[in-house]
Amino acid sequence: MAESGRREEIHPVERVGKEMAAMPQEPLLPVEKKLIGWSLMLGVVLLGILIWVSLKFFPA
Amino acid sequence: MWLGLAIAALALPATVGVDVLGWAAKASVWLELPKAVGPASKGYAFLPGWVSLGLTFLAVLALVAIGARVMGFRMGRFLAGFTVIFWTSFGCWLVGHYAYIAQTPDKRQAMGIGWSLGLTGEAGFIVALLAGLAIGNLAPKFASWLKEASRPEWFIKTGIVILGASLGVKAIAASGLVSAIMFRGFAAIVEAYLIYWALVYFISRRFFGFSREWAAPLASGISICGVSAAIATGAAIRARPVVPIMVSSLVVIFSVVELLLLPFAAQAFLSHEPMVAAAWMGLAVKTDGAAVASGAVTDALVRAAAGARGVAWQPGWMLMTTTTVKVFIDVFIGIWAFILALIWVYAIDKKPGERVRATEIWERFPKFVIGYFLLFVGVLACGLAWPGTREGLVAATGTADVFRGIFFVMTFFAIGLASNFRRLWAEGIGRLAMVYVVSLFGFIIWIGLAISWLFFHGVRPPLVQ
Repeated sequence: MAESGRREEIHPVERVGKEMAAMPQEPLLPVEKKLIGWSLMLGVVLLGILIWVSLKFFPA
Repeated sequence: MWLGLAIAALALPATVGVDVLGWAAKASVWLELPKAVGPASKGYAFLPGWVSLGLTFLAVLALVAIGARVMGFRMGRFLAGFTVIFWTSFGCWLVGHYAYIAQTPDKRQAMGIGWSLGLTGEAGFIVALLAGLAIGNLAPKFASWLKEASRPEWFIKTGIVILGASLGVKAIAASGLVSAIMFRGFAAIVEAYLIYWALVYFISRRFFGFSREWAAPLASGISICGVSAAIATGAAIRARPVVPIMVSSLVVIFSVVELLLLPFAAQAFLSHEPMVAAAWMGLAVKTDGAAVASGAVTDALVRAAAGARGVAWQPGWMLMTTTTVKVFIDVFIGIWAFILALIWVYAIDKKPGERVRATEIWERFPKFVIGYFLLFVGVLACGLAWPGTREGLVAATGTADVFRGIFFVMTFFAIGLASNFRRLWAEGIGRLAMVYVVSLFGFIIWIGLAISWLFFHGVRPPLVQ
């Protein structure tokens, strides 16, 4: 709880504009493309499986 | 977690007739103010409402003071601020219970009134949110003074732990429905994680030109669970502190916008699909506080709409669904942060000899979830093993629920206090806000609705007997 109590501390941050302007241009790495692709693909495949399991084993 | 467990531990002996907390102040729908508050338990009916309320304040103050001391808050400032927050929040709670605001259509005649907004007593949540927003935006110095005691995440997690006991009682009577809600909530979250995060990360990297350091916490903050997820992700990929802090600021502000809009949209368009509406709140509204708060308001609004059609659903089932979805989200934050840490350490920021410890999952695991499930399983097991205790459990959890309501309404007030809309115009935040708006209103809300529909359509709360 102590940790979560401190987590909510949010302070206004100044000069975010400079932070944004200084942001480096980084092309998407192959590993990032894989992360995005696998995540979406797994999401679509699991969608069908989880709906089937819900209806079959956990009817409401 | 400990605060919620302590309250439940004090309330549960009422199951066997030892009513320790029965004097707690419960708000009722009222036309005359003296009748607005009274003791929760009939055994304490002799107590005047103001005595009950005073005792409740002292008890809550004592409990949070112990927690504040343990967490190292500045005690003087905390106690003074908490006193203001408690009384303002409870005042809002009572305003929300005013008959012309709260009373449902089926009880107007009995109360002798010709009309009412029919929002139920949960309207007090909206009143508290508006009061917090007014102070946070019009009197920022006063809001800043209250900051030490304004802990929406702490308040809501305490409320959620207590809610575990209420869920356990409901599960005794409808264990099939609860297991369906649990599994479908879990399934909805798996889907939301995999689809939301990848899409937001891709959009912020490809179309808005954010660096990896900004895009990952932004994707977690927008898509998963706001503040906690942004901070956990920031830590996992070793981002500088400014990154999750900026993302968190946006998350808090947009959560309030969602909290003010989505429950009313749910009432207007999903009043025939209550569990879809409830799961949608859990998937679309970020931060624990705002999501569960949206679930509470949706529960009240959708039941009010159903009541107007002559359908009386039991209260609490929609709130339970939203909470279940949100709790699973919190459980997964640690796992997702661990996966990202692995990818960043071993593939993106590769440094010789660096390793990720499996214990990081536990370090990032939200501990209040344990309290929630502990109470849920404990109460459910007790009710199933000893059927004779069921009536007592209903009474005991009903008393604990009074405290849950108080922590919830304080959460609404604290969320409002923390939402200074001027931050939206802070220098440079526009680009971040643009990704947030595009992602949230462009697809997160709608994919969340679609996933909620797929897993929860046709699921209904039990009817009031």
